[in-house]
Amino acid sequence: MQEHQFPVDISDDDVLKAMKSISGFLDITPADFKEIYIVAYRQALERLKRSVKDKHIMTKQVVSVREETSLQEAAELMALNNISGLPVLNHLQHVTGIISEKDFLYEMGDKTKNSFMAVIARCLTNKGCLAISLRNRKARDIMKSPPITVSEETPVFEIAALFEQKKINRVPVIGKDSKLTGIVTRSDIVKSYRIKSSQMRDVS
Amino acid sequence: MMKYFNKMKASTKSPPYVSFSEIIWSWIGAFLGIIPLAYLNYNLFTKSDLEFIIGSFGASAVLLYGAIRSPLAQPRNLIGGHIVSALIGVASYKLFANQLWLAAPLAVATAIAVMHATKTLHPPGGATALIAVIGSNKIHALGFLYAIIPVGLGALIMLVVALFVNNIPEKRKYPEFWF
Repeated sequence: MQEHQFPVDISDDDVLKAMKSISGFLDITPADFKEIYIVAYRQALERLKRSVKDKHIMTKQVVSVREETSLQEAAELMALNNISGLPVLNHLQHVTGIISEKDFLYEMGDKTKNSFMAVIARCLTNKGCLAISLRNRKARDIMKSPPITVSEETPVFEIAALFEQKKINRVPVIGKDSKLTGIVTRSDIVKSYRIKSSQMRDVS
Repeated sequence: MMKYFNKMKASTKSPPYVSFSEIIWSWIGAFLGIIPLAYLNYNLFTKSDLEFIIGSFGASAVLLYGAIRSPLAQPRNLIGGHIVSALIGVASYKLFANQLWLAAPLAVATAIAVMHATKTLHPPGGATALIAVIGSNKIHALGFLYAIIPVGLGALIMLVVALFVNNIPEKRKYPEFWF
């Protein structure tokens, strides 16, 4: 997030040009203007950072499976909904894990890498490449547990950082009763920037 | 110590020149703003004990017609700064009428402090406070009336002119804020 801390480095000349284009005598020096600009920019950033929270951008209709759901069913569900991962719930509706394409790939490959290319490589070296090994296994067998979760009040910028740090693509959102209330994916974060810029337009 | 002297180095460039139309409109505004005060003073009330024009109005004209976007030039600062400073100037004179060397700096310094404290900083206010001390016998004789005529009235007239004249050019707008 460091690169967002500082605004575009405007030069004295930029400010002078702007002052020239604005008619009338401006009772301020370029240096003072720059100082105000930098402080105001940081403040605006802080405000926007905190104003958009999970609950504003998360998907509320979460496709999920139970711990005892078969992997076949889970895979069908993911294919049907065109998603690459989903949360796994226990009987109390608490999120106990996450499964994603990567977990399938990991099981199908040589169990050292979780990329599609690793699976292809394994297939081509004749070590067998069938998903048969996944048959009759359950979600709980391959899910990542314990899952990384966030609350509804977590600011979006923190989730973006979380995605980067943990190298994950989605994070379940947990409500006050510790039940699943939504899910935030990388594409939700991208969309949230559209929310931010429309807010900025409203202000101006 | 070096740090102290280093502060005296320039740290930025000076602001750009203004446009030609800005120069013209500054002239027109100041001309029209001072006319009523000068006319009252020299043509209408020549025999009265009142004064209608004081030096600080020249300074106010610079801000009011030449730097109209400046916070220092806004109505709150113009009217507030002048009246607050006038009262302080008269009070200083009355308190130290026999020690003018003290009354003068006291008037100016206190005027600046109180203008700051009341968010009415208007540089000509310093002159208004000083004139209350160093002014003519006629000014001294006015007492606290000085804050109303010439100071308050003059500032008001200049404000009315500023409202009319500064809003004529398409690219000018006055005021930025009232209070």
